[in-house]
Amino acid sequence: MLDVLSNPAHVHLWLNHVPTVGFGAALILFIAARLRGHDILIQTGLVMFFVVAAVAIATYLSGNAAEPLVQDRPGISSRAIRAHEDAALLAFVCMEMTGFLAWLALWQRRRARLAAWQLPAVLLAAIVTFGLMARAADLGGEIHHPEIGSMASATDSRPELASGTAQSIGLFVSSRPWVWPTAETIHFIGLSMLFTVVLIVDLRLLGVAKRVPYPAVYQLLPLGMLGFGLNLATGLLFFLGATHQYIHNTTFYWKIVFVVLGGINLLYFMLDDGVWTVGAGDDAPVGSKVAAASALFLWVAVLFCGHMLPFIGNAF
Amino acid sequence: MELLAHLEQISFFAWVRESRSLLAYPSILLLHTIGMAVVVGLIAGIDLRILGFAPALPLTPMRKFLPIMWAAFAVNAVTGAILLAADATTKLTNPDFFVKMAFIFLALIVQRLIDGRVFPDAVIHDPVAGDPTPLPRQTKMLAAASLVCWLGAITAGRLLAYVGPVSGL
Repeated sequence: MLDVLSNPAHVHLWLNHVPTVGFGAALILFIAARLRGHDILIQTGLVMFFVVAAVAIATYLSGNAAEPLVQDRPGISSRAIRAHEDAALLAFVCMEMTGFLAWLALWQRRRARLAAWQLPAVLLAAIVTFGLMARAADLGGEIHHPEIGSMASATDSRPELASGTAQSIGLFVSSRPWVWPTAETIHFIGLSMLFTVVLIVDLRLLGVAKRVPYPAVYQLLPLGMLGFGLNLATGLLFFLGATHQYIHNTTFYWKIVFVVLGGINLLYFMLDDGVWTVGAGDDAPVGSKVAAASALFLWVAVLFCGHMLPFIGNAF
Repeated sequence: MELLAHLEQISFFAWVRESRSLLAYPSILLLHTIGMAVVVGLIAGIDLRILGFAPALPLTPMRKFLPIMWAAFAVNAVTGAILLAADATTKLTNPDFFVKMAFIFLALIVQRLIDGRVFPDAVIHDPVAGDPTPLPRQTKMLAAASLVCWLGAITAGRLLAYVGPVSGL
């Protein structure tokens, strides 16, 4: 594990099959399930979209970490890298939107009927994402395999692109003095929203305020997801604004590992039938307590790693 | 100002500020951040419920979260005092610090008023009593004020690293 983490190019090649092949498989499954009206498979498709979106966070970040390893090699054009980077950013943003929509449908189907727009919205977002992701993957392949490319990048005589969209956003973040402090403030507000839900849901399952039934605390989950969304967006701004601070920082890798695990842990609270039946006054089953304790550990670990970025890592 | 400089030179506070140990400044600030997440997280949950979010959530048992919130508040009072003493000449000359303190002071007053209305003794001593519903408008105004105060405290606290005299800490 540590060995793989130490080579970001390796990590990126390993992870980049998840948002392409994995997402494609999820899309085929979801369409087939929708056509046949198969409820369990629809749910499985939604879960796959959500998991792929969570892993895609690591895929996207690892690509930036891999860039310094290849950019100075002969035959590697920075134009090809910029094109892949911008395509990947756009695909990543759409992927996360799809993940949020899929999550919302999963959340909603547990407590009530889905609204008529929800599954078509997930499908539409997934199809757009798949197209954008295929394009990003294709442009990524051209970085190391110019023979498949249409751009003939290695022999291109035009001047190199000064900067792409991702770099322009990064420059905006790092050059305007108000952007970073504003994003930091929002990052802390998002953190508090996430912890509202993590604390109330998990402490309840661990035995605090037992008179609160689980389906009641379940209503809070979208607040936590909104907080996470704020932090993903502001976190992306930090990453684009000061990429070098994060890609050489082992603490940051661990933060992302814990974020992805936190996403997967969240599925327990959406899908398990046992936890759903915990009523007012009930003691939660052991499995629910383990999941709740894991969630507390994972999100405190995310906060710990984020906080320690300047102190254990080499950032700032 | 001289007094503040003396305060900063007390060996424990100098250690907090200058030691490269992870147990010094990084850990104390970490506790302060986790404490913030617990205090604001739990209070915001109760405030949002009062405002009508997650209506199925019964309010009365939510008071069980308050001792945890107050424990975290105590952690933050202590770690906050240490962080302040270690950097007194900078923080106590920064107007933003007093803005943060004002928000927290107001938030505490509002919290007491909310506790008196939402968790009155009669309810606490009668475990089967239902929520005091419907919640009066005034209680909702207090919950909104509480959220505003904590948002203000987080914002002012976070901006301490960026506005006014910045020590680099």
